[in-house]
Amino acid sequence: MSKSAEDQRSSSLVVSRRTILAGTGAALAMPFIARQGMAAAKDVNVGVVVPLSGANAQFGINSRNAIQLVADEINAAGGIKSLGGAKLNLIIADSTSTPTTAATVAQRMISQNSVVAVLGAFASSLTLAISEVTERRGIPLLTMSFSDVLTERGFKNVFQVVSKGSTLGRAQFDYSVALAKASGETIGKVAIMYEDTAYGTSQAEGLRQAAKAAGIAVVLDEAYPLGVTDATPLINKLRSSGAQLVFPVSYLNDSILIVRTMRQQGLDIPTIGGAAGYVIPDFRKALADLGDGVLSISPANYDQAPELTERFRKRFGYFMVHEAIEHAALTGVLASALENAKSTAPDALRAALLGATFDQGWASVMTGGSVRFDETGHNKNAYPVMVQWQKDELVTVYPPEAAKGKAQWSKRG
Amino acid sequence: MTQGLQAIVDGILIGGVYAIVSSGLSLVFGIMGVVNFAHAEFLMVGMFVAYFAWAILGLDPLIGSLIALVVVFLAGAGLQRTLIRPILKAPPVAQIFLTVGLMFTLENGALLLFGADYRSVVTSYQTESLHLGGIIVSMPYLFAFLMSVISGGLLWAFMRYSRTGRAMRATAQDPMAAKLVGINTDRMHQIAFGLGVGLTAFGGAVILPYLTVYPTVGSQYVVLMFTVVVLGGLGSVAGAVVGGLAVGVIQALSALVFPMQLQNLVLFVVFIAVLALRPSGLLKGASA
Amino acid sequence: MSLSSSLGNAGTPSLRTLPCRPVLLIAAALGMAGLVPLGLDPQGYTLRVLTLTLLFAAMAQSWNIVGGLANQISLGHAGFFGIGAYTSTILLRDLGVSPWLGMIAGMGLAGLAAAILSVPTFRLKGHYFALVTLAFGEVMRVIANSWSSVTGGPVGISVPFAPNSLWMFQYNTVRPYYYVSLIALVLVSVVFWRIKTGALGYRLRAIKENPDAAEVIGIDTYRAKLMAGLVSAVLTAALGTVYAQFSYFFDPDTIFGVASISVRMALIAIVGGVSLTFGPIVGAFFIIPLEEISNAALAGRAAGLSAFVYGALLIAIILVKPQGLLALFGDLYKRLRKESSR
Repeated sequence: MSKSAEDQRSSSLVVSRRTILAGTGAALAMPFIARQGMAAAKDVNVGVVVPLSGANAQFGINSRNAIQLVADEINAAGGIKSLGGAKLNLIIADSTSTPTTAATVAQRMISQNSVVAVLGAFASSLTLAISEVTERRGIPLLTMSFSDVLTERGFKNVFQVVSKGSTLGRAQFDYSVALAKASGETIGKVAIMYEDTAYGTSQAEGLRQAAKAAGIAVVLDEAYPLGVTDATPLINKLRSSGAQLVFPVSYLNDSILIVRTMRQQGLDIPTIGGAAGYVIPDFRKALADLGDGVLSISPANYDQAPELTERFRKRFGYFMVHEAIEHAALTGVLASALENAKSTAPDALRAALLGATFDQGWASVMTGGSVRFDETGHNKNAYPVMVQWQKDELVTVYPPEAAKGKAQWSKRG
Repeated sequence: MTQGLQAIVDGILIGGVYAIVSSGLSLVFGIMGVVNFAHAEFLMVGMFVAYFAWAILGLDPLIGSLIALVVVFLAGAGLQRTLIRPILKAPPVAQIFLTVGLMFTLENGALLLFGADYRSVVTSYQTESLHLGGIIVSMPYLFAFLMSVISGGLLWAFMRYSRTGRAMRATAQDPMAAKLVGINTDRMHQIAFGLGVGLTAFGGAVILPYLTVYPTVGSQYVVLMFTVVVLGGLGSVAGAVVGGLAVGVIQALSALVFPMQLQNLVLFVVFIAVLALRPSGLLKGASA
Repeated sequence: MSLSSSLGNAGTPSLRTLPCRPVLLIAAALGMAGLVPLGLDPQGYTLRVLTLTLLFAAMAQSWNIVGGLANQISLGHAGFFGIGAYTSTILLRDLGVSPWLGMIAGMGLAGLAAAILSVPTFRLKGHYFALVTLAFGEVMRVIANSWSSVTGGPVGISVPFAPNSLWMFQYNTVRPYYYVSLIALVLVSVVFWRIKTGALGYRLRAIKENPDAAEVIGIDTYRAKLMAGLVSAVLTAALGTVYAQFSYFFDPDTIFGVASISVRMALIAIVGGVSLTFGPIVGAFFIIPLEEISNAALAGRAAGLSAFVYGALLIAIILVKPQGLLALFGDLYKRLRKESSR
């Protein structure tokens, strides 16, 4: 009770502070606005730095599609009204897979295109590198990277819309145990297999913590090099470990290799993937019926807000994958914040992003139906969901308040 | 015990594929003296050809592998004429970096043409396996291995008994003398390069039933392929077979003792150690 | 010295009467390089690209000692680069040691690594040397990835934030890093030039021309190659520390990257002109802005287009002029002079 009252108080405080800031911003901007009144409203440049080449290109392209969709919709509906109908103008660039390049690209956008904010950059290592640039320039960086570190360094300009990697790992474990229990199975031994990347290791750490807290034995805890050419040794180890459940944390190539090799060896224990490779259309396409019934944790899912995500499917021909959802939410949040700030000044924009709850339009597409950044810049309304491949769709099956279908917790052969 | 035996069986199955994939690289070096850093990209090209043969014509990748071989052979022969021939006499530096440029171009050309999607085929035997007294032999691995063995045998017979094969070996041993006895060494180089990249593409196609294809798949194989050919002796096709099997078995066995994460480390240490302990033997292999 | 004599040989009287002209040119270029940042946004993009250009020029120059003078094509210099970056950053993070001292520690470790690496590689030539060094870089990457308790593992490592202190080598703006990179480039180039024109350079050239003959006339080939390898590795490690302080964050894949560091270092030297003092500088001023421009102009349009163009240009340069851009400029210069004298 007292907590919600406190919430209310702090939010009203923020609103008032925001109004003041916006007021000052408007006062400062007065001469410009007056001049602009005659001409068309000035476009607002928004930087988009995502991998468009290299191993993560697919995810970068998905993200770009989503951002483009949302920006087009906002522009078609009259742009940012408080800025005189200013259009969102996307400055899109390839982050490549090199953090230095990503940081250079961000610097270019800030100094040459005067972007008001940067969206990106999918992979945590790229986002971390970019954040070093944006923080020094005081430009908001809106991201869906999982890394725990991002919002734990005391940076003021990083806004993370998703649950952190360790949270995902813990949820992956706890949700699975709960689902097993609901179907009458007691879990005593589990296996963790993860790629040795930032994403794999931080999520594995969450899994490990949750197993320890639950008092369940981890009988196999194995990192493997990203993009293995042969998963057989890994699956041999899994088979002899006697685990009842396996938590593979991997990208698509390895996901497919792992699931196929398991089936070849007649290993049919439940597989609960760690997002990434397990929640994209290619996974189902590649594995055909083998993929049916595979579970995975996911930081967001398209069945939570179908009225929005179906627009993406209609335009691009595939369901709205989670990185697209998160980037769409970020674009929506950014537009609302600009609307509220009535200014493109970084300080006003940052103040508008902090504290307010965004639940209109695309901002509501995330789990929890809204986005609200705490003082570290982390979206505290986000929570992971458990999804399952049922036919060709990803269905949210846990937690109960988000579930859109029933989990099929049956062993398959 | 069973675990060790299983690891050796797995290692041999995957090693056979490494052998055929790497023998192309070895062939190119042996006959032309060019280390092709773009070689692994032709594995990717082969996988794409087999994928489209499956997706459009409905051909199994094991049959599509023959199309991949032919298509990439022709493409390779063309590339040899336009890009490789001008640098045959250039210092190694130029050769290395021309092929590095080719690597960038092929990888990103595939990205431009096919997009970044991960593609994979569906076959009936994909999840089948044989159970032989506690040892599991997975069918797609077995098929890939058998295809590699057959093609390896054919390559050996071709190099040994056919006129062209003998002419190619003569070109490798002494290009001047080969020219004097009327061998068109230019043509031999073209065939060697085409065959080298074609074999690697073929290898890529036969592993498609258990892998996925995407533009950067080749980069997973670059260091692996070089390890194989150096272990067997750069330039020796028979050596590539030995090296391939050795790398497969080392990978599988090391996974029993060490964490999977260190799989490549074990491989590299073996690689450097072989060069440190037997440099003369390997250098001898290079001149052959 | 070698430059002035080669220009003198070209036989232009105006040049012969001005033997100190190259020195003047260099001084003028340096003066300009020193003044440029004053006219640029101290936090801006142009300055950042220039800083990276200078840094990569210095890296390529260090590579040039081994790859050019000793004629050993290393594809594993990222190994030394990463040792430098990790050593100074770990010492700073855990013990609060100044990066300048960490730089010295990193140089020591890289020297040690180079000495150990020389045992299996000193007899290897050409492609074999390239392959072993490639594997060396990968070994370092796997170690950094797996040894999480010390290196932070694949998550990467951040330089603790403590801006604007010379002792802690950290600044809020790009400008100081520009000057550090410029000084580094000058120092490495001087080292390169001294080796090239000194006794070691003559020995290395003799080995390059004919290794057997060099042995016969009493040159210790192992020692000469080892010296070149050590100097190159130590300088590369020092630049690794500069890079770490400049970018604040790095992970094993970045710092030990085959394409992003090892190949690029060699590439810049080769494109400019291998074993020439000004080769890496010309190469860096060509390659780094080219990467930036192609990324800026093309990446928004089609995924992979900029990297494709980059690869195609590389092929074109090697086919047109394998000796590098400096040689190409030399040809153009000669042709122009011929035209004008006609």
